[in-house]
Amino acid sequence: MKVKGFLKDVGGASRVTKARLAAFENASPLPVMDDPIGNVAREWHPGKIDLVVTDVRPAGKTATTVRFERPDGKKLPPFYAGQFMVIDFPMGESLISRPYSISSAPYQARLAEHAFVEITVRRSKGDGFICDYINGSVEVGDRFRGMIGCGQFYYEPLRDAKHVVALAGGVGITPFASMAREIAHGTLDFDLTILYGSVSSDDITLKDELDQLKSDKLHIVHVLSGDEPNWNGERGFLTAELIQKYSADDTTYFICGPQVMYRFLRGELAKLNPPQRRVRFEVFGQAKDITAFEGYPQEVKDKVFNLTVVRGIHEDVIPAKATESLVVALERAGIRIETGCRSGECGFCRTKVLAGDVFICPESDGRRAADRDFGYVHACTAYPVSDVKIKIPIE
Amino acid sequence: MKFYKDHYDVIVIGGALAGLSAALMLADKGKDVLVLERHNLPGGIATSFVRGGIEIEAALHEMMSIGSRDHRLKVGKFFDDMGVDIDWLKVPEAYHAAIPGLEVTLHPGLETFAREVDAAVPGTYDKVLAVLNLCHTVFDSVNELSIHPMSKPQMLLKHEAFVKTAGYSTQEVLDTFDLPQKALDLLAPYWIYVGTGFRELPFTIFSVLMADYIGYGSYIPRKFSHEMSLKMAERAEAMGVQIEYRQHVDKILVRDGTAYGVRTARGDEIYADYVICSAYPNKVYTSMIEPADAVPVKAIKMVNGRRLSLTAFSVILILDKSAEELGIKDYSVFHGDTMDTNACYDELKGLGPYRYITCICHNLANPDATPEGTCSYSITTLPRVDGWKTVSADEYDRVKHEVAKQLIDYMSEYLGVNLLDHVLECVIETPMTVAHYTGMWNGCIYGYAHTMEDHIVARLQTAEEEHFIDHLEFSGAHQISGDGMGPAVTNGRKAAKNVLDTMAKEAKE
Repeated sequence: MKVKGFLKDVGGASRVTKARLAAFENASPLPVMDDPIGNVAREWHPGKIDLVVTDVRPAGKTATTVRFERPDGKKLPPFYAGQFMVIDFPMGESLISRPYSISSAPYQARLAEHAFVEITVRRSKGDGFICDYINGSVEVGDRFRGMIGCGQFYYEPLRDAKHVVALAGGVGITPFASMAREIAHGTLDFDLTILYGSVSSDDITLKDELDQLKSDKLHIVHVLSGDEPNWNGERGFLTAELIQKYSADDTTYFICGPQVMYRFLRGELAKLNPPQRRVRFEVFGQAKDITAFEGYPQEVKDKVFNLTVVRGIHEDVIPAKATESLVVALERAGIRIETGCRSGECGFCRTKVLAGDVFICPESDGRRAADRDFGYVHACTAYPVSDVKIKIPIE
Repeated sequence: MKFYKDHYDVIVIGGALAGLSAALMLADKGKDVLVLERHNLPGGIATSFVRGGIEIEAALHEMMSIGSRDHRLKVGKFFDDMGVDIDWLKVPEAYHAAIPGLEVTLHPGLETFAREVDAAVPGTYDKVLAVLNLCHTVFDSVNELSIHPMSKPQMLLKHEAFVKTAGYSTQEVLDTFDLPQKALDLLAPYWIYVGTGFRELPFTIFSVLMADYIGYGSYIPRKFSHEMSLKMAERAEAMGVQIEYRQHVDKILVRDGTAYGVRTARGDEIYADYVICSAYPNKVYTSMIEPADAVPVKAIKMVNGRRLSLTAFSVILILDKSAEELGIKDYSVFHGDTMDTNACYDELKGLGPYRYITCICHNLANPDATPEGTCSYSITTLPRVDGWKTVSADEYDRVKHEVAKQLIDYMSEYLGVNLLDHVLECVIETPMTVAHYTGMWNGCIYGYAHTMEDHIVARLQTAEEEHFIDHLEFSGAHQISGDGMGPAVTNGRKAAKNVLDTMAKEAKE
C-alpha cells in the first residue's frame, strides 16, 4: 500500500489532527447566532401567536367577519390562500380550539402596517356555540391566540390546472374569498370561477365584497336552491350539468362546504369523471353524528366511559361520551390538547391509545400505517367505545 | 400537577434516530431516561406524512449498515439486539447512474459492481475491484478501531491501509489507480451521501461509504422511515424510557461546569445526571447553555471553525401512473450533467439551477408504497446552506417553486414525460421545512462537512479535548460519524457510550 511514500503516508493521521486544531485556533472567538434559515421557518410557522380583534362586521345577513391583527400591527405569518387558522377560545377554565378558513388574502397578512387576517363565520342553527359566540359576543379589542396557515386546501401551481372551478356551499365560500382577493391583487395567477350554492339570496355570505372583485380572471356564479321569484341567476343545486357549463377542457375542482354537499358533489363529479388529480376536497370537518357512520357500534351510543389521560407521570380520569370525540372529552374536562383541522387529517392531535377501544370516523382517517399498528389515533376523529386510556403531550 | 420525576439518570434532547438510539442503549443498561422531542412524533426527518390519503416518505432514500438477516452490519445488528424489529425491504440495485453518454445500472456486491463497471468501460475490472477492496479493508479497520482502540505501531501493523490513506483526500487516493474518467464517473455518484467533493473528502469516509453500500446493499422499512422511528420509540418506552412530545428545550442548566438538567419552553425544570443533546453545538453554545458564561471560548472557536455541510431540497410527487407506465426503471437514480464532484459541490452553494439530482421511485423497492396505478417519485438535491441563507420569508415561496419547477422540468426532459401532467400530490420540502419540523440549525441535515480539516480520524483523536461541559454529550449528524440515518444511530450510541463510560469512571473514583 503506497499513496505518496512511506513516511508521508504514515504521518497522515497526525497531519489531519494538526490541521483540525489549527482551523479551530484561527477561528473567531465571538459567538454567532447565525440561523437565517431557521428564522424564515419561524416567520412562516411561529406556532400560536397573540392576536387582537380590530374589526367586527356583517358579511351578509347570516354571517360575521372578524379581523385580527398582531397587538403591534406588524406582519403576520405568510400563508396560502385557502388555508385555515386555528383559534383558541377561552371557555370557563378551558381553552377550545377551532379551525376557520381565512377569508382575507395572503397579501393582507403581509402589509407593512396593520397587517391582518379575517375569518367569516356563520350564525349556526343551534349546534355551534363558538359560531354563536363569534356572531354575538366578540368585540374589537378582544384578545385570542391563533395559529395561521394550516391545511392543504390551496392552489398549487405545480399540480393544479390554470382553470379552477370552485364549488362552494354556505360558509364554504371563505377559502375562495381568500383566493379571489389574492387573484384580484395580482399575486395569484389562475382563472377562478366560483359556483356558490345558497338557499336564498339572504344566505349568501360576503356577496358584496366578492362581487366587487369580478374580472376576466374571476367569475362568481350564485346558485339558489330555494324558491325565490325575483332571482335572475342560476337555480337549483350544483349539478353535473351546471358544473360542466363552467368547466374548461382542463379544470381543477376545489370543493368546500357542508358534509351533505360533499356527498352530493362526489356523485355529481363522478358523472363528469375528471381525473383524480383534478378534484380537491377541503377536509371533512367534525362528524355531526358519529352514530350514523357504518360500523359504529350502536349499543354504546348512550354510554359515558372513563377516559384515563396520561400526561408525563400524571394521570387524570375524566368522563367521555361515546358520541363525542376524545378531543371534545378532553376540552370539556379542561385538559389542553393541540388540535388543527379537527377532521383527522393534520395529525396535530396524534394520541396513543394505551388501553381500550375507539371508533375512528371512516370519512377521516388520515393516520400513518405504522401509527395504526401501534394504536395511535387522531383524537379529533376517535370516539370511545369502552373505557379508554390515552397518552397525550403535556401542553 | 407533576409531569416529570424529580430526577433522571439521563435527559435526551431530541427524539430522532440518534436520540432514540442513545435512549435504547441507556435503557438496555438499566438507566432511567427521559426523551424530550419538539415535534408530536418521533424520528425528526426519518418520518412520513399523509396527503390525500396516501402515505409519503419524507426523507429516507436508503439505509446503510443494515445488512441481510444472515449478515447484519452494525446498525441492523443494533436494532436486532435492542428488539427493534423492522420489516426491512432490500433495495434492488446500488444505483442507476445517468450521466451524459453513460446510462448504467449497478448492483451491490464488490465483484458484481466491478463487473458491471467493466461492461460499461471495458478493461477496468481489476482496477475497480482493487479500489473497492481497498475501501473494504479501510472499512473493516474503521469498524474494528471504533470498538478496540490501539497504539499507532499496532495500528500500522494490523491496519496498514487505513493508516496510510488517512491523510489523503479521496481524489488523491483514486488518482493512484489511474482509472479512465468514465469508470471514475461510475464510482462517484454516492459522493452526495457524504456531501463533499473528492478534493476535500477524506478517503476514509469514501471507503466506509462504498464498502458499506456497494458491499452489502441498502434497505428501507416497509412502512416508511416512520416505521423505524416509531418502533424505536415504542421499544424504548417498553424498556421504561419516558418520551414526551411537543416539548421544546430552551436551556441546558449548568453548574460548576457540569450539566444537571434542562428547562423547557413551557417552563418545566427537569433534572438529570447527564444530558444528551441533539441540537447543533452552534445553537447550544450560543443560546442554550445557562449560564451563558459556562461556555468556554474554545467551544465557540470550535463551532466557528467548522463548515456546515448540506441541507436538503426535495420535490415529492405522487403521480397518477405507475412507474412502468412512466418509464421509471430504477429505485435510485443519480443524475449529473457531470460527475465532477468538486464542480457539483461548488454548484450546490447557490440556489440553482441544480444539476446533481437524486431520484427515488419508492414503488420499485416497495410495490405497495402507493395505491395501484400510482407511484411515489422524489426528486432531491442537497444544497449547501449558503444560498438558502440569503432567502427572506417574503421571497421564500417564489424561490421554492422556481427550484421545484426546475427539478421537475429536468426530470421530465430525462424521462421524456411531462411529469406535470400526472401530479396527484406535490410536496416541496426545503431547508426551511427541515428547520421548522426539527429545529436543526439552518436546516442543515448533514452536520459539519467531511473535509481534510474536519477529518473523521481527527474527530476521533480530539474528541476528549472538544468535550467542554461535563456530563453534556451531543448526538446527531454534527457528531463524529457525520450525516445519514445509519450514522445517526452510530452517533447516538456513541453519546450513550460516553455517558456509560463516565458513569463507570466516576463510580470508581
